[in-house]
Amino acid sequence: MSVDGIEIHARDHDGFLREVHSFEFWFQSVEGYLADHPYGVDPKAPVPDLEEPERDALIATLSTYCVGEVAALDGSSGMIGFAPNRHSKIFLATQVVDEARHLEVMLHRLSELGVEDAEAGFEARANPNLLAFRGRLMEFVEAKDWEASIFAQNVILESMEFAAFHSHMQSADPRTAEMLAGVLKDERRHMGFGENDLGRHLEQSPHARTRLREIKKELDALVLATFEDSQRALGTPASERTAVGKLYLESVARLGFAK
Amino acid sequence: MTDPLLETDEFDPAEETESSAESARRQPRTRYQLKDDTGFDEVPKKYRRFYRRWQGKGDSLAPNEVICPVCKVVIRSTRDLRPGDRVYCMPCFSRLTVIAGESGGLEARVEY
Repeated sequence: MSVDGIEIHARDHDGFLREVHSFEFWFQSVEGYLADHPYGVDPKAPVPDLEEPERDALIATLSTYCVGEVAALDGSSGMIGFAPNRHSKIFLATQVVDEARHLEVMLHRLSELGVEDAEAGFEARANPNLLAFRGRLMEFVEAKDWEASIFAQNVILESMEFAAFHSHMQSADPRTAEMLAGVLKDERRHMGFGENDLGRHLEQSPHARTRLREIKKELDALVLATFEDSQRALGTPASERTAVGKLYLESVARLGFAK
Repeated sequence: MTDPLLETDEFDPAEETESSAESARRQPRTRYQLKDDTGFDEVPKKYRRFYRRWQGKGDSLAPNEVICPVCKVVIRSTRDLRPGDRVYCMPCFSRLTVIAGESGGLEARVEY
């Protein structure tokens, strides 16, 4: 439907959902910010020289981010097989591409920072809480448990990543910040898909909240500890660290999981 | 649910009993020309004029704007927004209803 001269907000919901879950929508969206940006950055942007402590902290943080991206890559690719409808399958296919790109740009940034064979070592440098989270997410995926998988990955993990990347961008060197900005734009779709899909599901199956509340209790600790550690390593003042979890807490509250 | 596309009735002075809120709701909508000049690049080109990034401290919302509570993008309409209006946040796939916030401004509530 053409939008020339008309109000986008007058559209019917089904038509809106059909369009935003399409590969065509994804392609035209990422074209706006990824075209001519190899590895997510302007090729003319200089590679900054970082002091050793700052460089080490960035390497540890990017390694943790890589674990999150691998978790989401494995999770979303596995979920395509048991997604409940075509919209979700196609959306998850676009998410797989996004997550693969995130992993690639982060490994590339690690190699720019002088890390040899970045791929081989990132798990060893990553936060153990996030490794545990990844293990739990993959158990849900292997059990073909849609409710738990979408909640763990697209609500908990994605909203925490969104908040953490946004916070990190404020203090990061310009090259890392630009790379994270591109990732953040993808994360908007991922977490929005998660909250809206689960929100619609819970309206039909409100009894599912009880089980998801238990899952939340278990996973909250792992994800919040991961990002607390990363923020500390990056030098974010304690007073600002709680703000990172705020977005996540707001999302789960809207879904009816307020503490 | 108020459709922003629908014309509102002209104010009828004969309706003396209506509240000021009702009266305001019945005023004709102000139209806004949305230009694709906000630098927002996260949706297909033809939709970009309907969104912009929140600039933080010093930024403010126009009468045709509301913030998406899910992803914090500013959503724009071609008309001034009023409680009950429906808007879509395309960057995060959300359908929202405009409500009167506690602070007096307009806010948006997700409708799954």
